[in-house]
Amino acid sequence: MESVEKMDIELNEQGLDGSPVCVKKMHLFEHIGPLAASAQSYGPKRTHSRVLMSIYIVIFKARINVLVPFGPLAVVLHYLTGKHGWVFFFSLVGIVPLAERLGYATEQLAYYTGPTIGGLLNATFGNATEMIISIYALKNGMIRVVQQSLLGSILSNMLLVLGCAFLSGGIVHSNKDQVFNKAAAVVNSGLLLMAVMGLMFPAVLHFTHSEVQYGKSEVALSRFSSCVMLVAYASYLFFQLKGRHNLYSPIDEEENQNDDVDSDEEDAPEITLWESIAWLAVLTAWVSILSGYLVDAIEGASEAMSMPVAFISVILLPIVGNAAEHASAIMFAMKDKLDITLGVAIGSSTQISMFLIPFCVVIGWIMGKEMDLNFQLFETASLFITVLVVAFMLQEGTANYFKGMMLILCYLIVAASFFEHIDPTVNDN
Amino acid sequence: MENKGGRRLNVDTQPSYQLEMFENKGHISISHSHLEMGKLDGQFEHEFEDECCVGPSSLIRNNSSPEIENHNESFSNAGEKCSISYMKYRAFRSLNIILFSAKINLLMPCGPAAIVVKCLTGQHGWVFLLSLLGVVPLAERLGFVTEQLAFFTGPTVGGLLNATFGNATELIISIYALKKGMIRVVQQSLLGSILSNMLLVLGCAFFCGGIVYNKKDQVFNKAAVTVNSGLLLMAVMGLLFPAVLHFTHTEIHLGKSELALSRFSSCVMLVAYTSYIIFQLRGQNRSYDGDTEHGESQKDEDEEVQISKGEAIFWLAIVTIWISVLSEYLVDAIEGASKAWNMPIAFISVILLPIVGNAAEHASAIMFAMKDKLDISLGVAIGSSTQISMFGIPFCVVIGWIMERHMDLNFQLFETAALFITVLVVAFMLQDGTSNYFKGVMLILSYIIVAASFYVHVDPTSEENSHRN
Repeated sequence: MESVEKMDIELNEQGLDGSPVCVKKMHLFEHIGPLAASAQSYGPKRTHSRVLMSIYIVIFKARINVLVPFGPLAVVLHYLTGKHGWVFFFSLVGIVPLAERLGYATEQLAYYTGPTIGGLLNATFGNATEMIISIYALKNGMIRVVQQSLLGSILSNMLLVLGCAFLSGGIVHSNKDQVFNKAAAVVNSGLLLMAVMGLMFPAVLHFTHSEVQYGKSEVALSRFSSCVMLVAYASYLFFQLKGRHNLYSPIDEEENQNDDVDSDEEDAPEITLWESIAWLAVLTAWVSILSGYLVDAIEGASEAMSMPVAFISVILLPIVGNAAEHASAIMFAMKDKLDITLGVAIGSSTQISMFLIPFCVVIGWIMGKEMDLNFQLFETASLFITVLVVAFMLQEGTANYFKGMMLILCYLIVAASFFEHIDPTVNDN
Repeated sequence: MENKGGRRLNVDTQPSYQLEMFENKGHISISHSHLEMGKLDGQFEHEFEDECCVGPSSLIRNNSSPEIENHNESFSNAGEKCSISYMKYRAFRSLNIILFSAKINLLMPCGPAAIVVKCLTGQHGWVFLLSLLGVVPLAERLGFVTEQLAFFTGPTVGGLLNATFGNATELIISIYALKKGMIRVVQQSLLGSILSNMLLVLGCAFFCGGIVYNKKDQVFNKAAVTVNSGLLLMAVMGLLFPAVLHFTHTEIHLGKSELALSRFSSCVMLVAYTSYIIFQLRGQNRSYDGDTEHGESQKDEDEEVQISKGEAIFWLAIVTIWISVLSEYLVDAIEGASKAWNMPIAFISVILLPIVGNAAEHASAIMFAMKDKLDISLGVAIGSSTQISMFGIPFCVVIGWIMERHMDLNFQLFETAALFITVLVVAFMLQDGTSNYFKGVMLILSYIIVAASFYVHVDPTSEENSHRN
């Protein structure tokens, strides 16, 4: 027990903000207590134990990390057999825990950097997984995959994540309607709607066959619009992070909520500044490697599993990229903190539409790929309809399990329509 | 001679007559030079001072005061009440107020310059630019004169006047374009006017207001805005159906049914507009009636009546005629300018023409936003859009019907989609009742994207026409 207490003190000395460590945590550290106790006395071994402990915290503590072995398995499978279906599936499953740990490391880092940079970090790394997957796909020239996966990410955030959150929250709190802050939801969804509108114009221009130079004007317009959208995103960040204490920024809200209310979970930073940076780098590298295999295996998997590439891009890929946000949204909904859930879901959609999609267009421009904002007619229509309907539905300010059910069923319909969807351009080629 | 706004400078030795003349109390601000005029008995002076009313500031702003003072003295020195010289004086004074008191009138010479350039050279680009710049101050003065006239006619007719003449510039330009058979220009300029009102004017107003008041969000009356944007959305829906019918290729007689439907819809829309006006004017005491700028602007600067009723009507006629003349040159030069500047006609019609037509409303909306009176800004912007969609466009269709032009409600697919999306999104965004500079930025950037898409937009019908020809 002595060693455990020493372990306790050591934890407190390691730059945590002094909040009492939960009994649960103490319990988990019991079995490495002796190791830590001995480490205390021996200097060089202290770093060794710190590394071990940080590995422990980052890798072994989260239950989702049972999925981690799937990653290396995917790489192994890629080289041993040529089975694209299995490689795809395994790398998909392998990325999920990495994405979650990436989010965790970002949060930890945010504790050290203060709210401003923390918000910026969250904003950038929040969708890091989708960004990495998209850049790999762009490099491979799979432009439709990029467009569809980003679009599917927005659809999945607005329908699936929200739906599951409302459903689980509604089931847990089934005796009343859950309430959320209407004003913030309306403002955020208005912003998302405007971003989607900005994204749609090139597609609408192309499909009304009214461009000056058929095909080329539309790419030029897409690039110009993307630059405009990036300027809009920069002003969005500037506006949010300027320390306005109002209901706009879900990021600040989340951190405030955590600091005030939660005393059981990531209340205190668990790893040091340098460790979080190191882990951030390691996880990002690992995600990149797996994404490479993932993207390479898409087409083969589509044939092997006999489903359209559209379905894989729009439905399967985003589920992976969003898995961590999905889980946290559900968790917060079950704790009756729907504002955070909405902030996560709508904020993520806004980030993708205002930052990620224009960013990919610009990256494609730099790479010389013809990535544009011309999502085909079906995708554009479904995006607009979805965002409009969900934005409208959020205006009421209440949630219950039935609404969640409706959202999930809508998502099933959208998924089914993508299952039957073939790209007209693919046919032309 | 009863004259509400008259200023009597002729110092007469018949005090009774003077008393009569000053029966009607105007709201004119009087310069101090008058008090120096001799031969006033105490009572007379007293009356002068009683009438000295609001806003000496307006006179300070009025840079014409030195000239008036000179003329005061010259007239008073003449010492006789001569109706002709009095008229001349009145004319000169009102000319001063109309022409010289607004700084925007620096652009006035562009109008005549445009005519000169047109006659001397054939440079369409320059003619277009100069007439564009020349219309701007005229539109502003038209608004001013309308407001002044509205003081005399009471709120009912005044509201009606504002409603009709508010978009007079766009209407005049559209009628000229119709006469010339440039149907697409008419459709696109009216549509561009709605887009510019909803995105650019609102965006600039929110942005400027947000920068001035950057500590907090500005608030506006949610209820009024919701009602108005709901109306606008319904008007846009009424406008869209002929286009949707045509583009789903489901007409009985391709092309003809759609024209007939457009004409019928326009009549229906005009009936709707009439009932809208009646509703507004009857229920002026409704709390959510935010877009009668009339009522609100009583507290503001140009609230005094500065010209008389007869003068107002006269100037209304003059300015309207002058706008018509310039519009003709403007419309004639559109195609040439499009070639000279190498930009699509669509861009000129949708983006450049409405900026001109809306310039005055634009400036006033920004000014009200910076004074934290967002309700008025919103009233101006959304009210103007509603007027165009419920009155301007159907009116042009009916005029085209009379002129036997093929003007219909079939805005091409891209314009229709753009209009619908924009109105929907902006109406949604206005629902929460707050504004800040970031929303203004988003609106302005959206307008930039829309403008950019029109820059690379070519009408499919014009291509077909050119192939046919």
